[in-house]
Amino acid sequence: MMPANANRLRRPDSMDLFKIPLFQRLTERMNWLGAREKVIATNIANADTPQYQPKDVVPLDFGDHLKKLAAVEPMRTDPKHIQGTIPPADPVDSKKQKKTYETAPAGNSVVLEEQMMKLSQTQADYSQITNLYKKHVDMLKTAIGRGA
Amino acid sequence: MDLMESLMISAAGMRVQGERLRVISENIANVDSVSEVPGGDPYRRKTITFQNALDRELGTNLVKVKKVGLDPSEFTRKYDPSNPAADKAGYVKLPNVNALIEMNDMREAQRSYEANLKVIEVSRGMLQRTIDLLR
Repeated sequence: MMPANANRLRRPDSMDLFKIPLFQRLTERMNWLGAREKVIATNIANADTPQYQPKDVVPLDFGDHLKKLAAVEPMRTDPKHIQGTIPPADPVDSKKQKKTYETAPAGNSVVLEEQMMKLSQTQADYSQITNLYKKHVDMLKTAIGRGA
Repeated sequence: MDLMESLMISAAGMRVQGERLRVISENIANVDSVSEVPGGDPYRRKTITFQNALDRELGTNLVKVKKVGLDPSEFTRKYDPSNPAADKAGYVKLPNVNALIEMNDMREAQRSYEANLKVIEVSRGMLQRTIDLLR
């Protein structure tokens, strides 16, 4: 999947879907849902691991997005330079869930039902986003006269 | 790619549950395995623990078998002087396997296995949807 800053790497004169903010947001959302799927897969795989605390991804938030944009990173003028103090942030953070429904005697607090619910939610959201994406591509196709 | 990684994570989850089932079947199969020598220790129940450890090849955490250990609980003793494994007082030590516990563990392993399988199905569906955007 495209990294969030993929549009910055492209030539300024190229016509691409990433210039359209809507597609940027949709791709970002798909990235986020993919990351959430991974976190849920990890939780479910560790449903019987002692001391394992389930995680969930941090919800997409506009304020957070702005903060990430504001982060200043020292410039590298030579490829031999070590990268600056701010590492290229993982686009999606995941945190340990603070509130859990129950904890097993072995210290594991994964509740399969809860994770399954999140899983189906992620799946539904994902198909919603891909459908939106498709619809908008179809709209563009209509605009250039090749629509359905 | 996250979706590919979640496929690998779930596959690792299924693998450890399979391993767990192997240990459970070993326990159940040996529910009556007494010692070969008079007064000796019978089969000791095995336990399995998992851990979430970094897989360097994939660069992400995968669930792995941490240890297949032995259950330290005591053996039950049964008075059966005619048994070849009986000690001088006529008692036979029986394995510390409780079939009921093993059955419940088995059910839980199955449930976890199915949950991982479901995650694979969903991840696969999401990947498919992404590919369908090309159409």
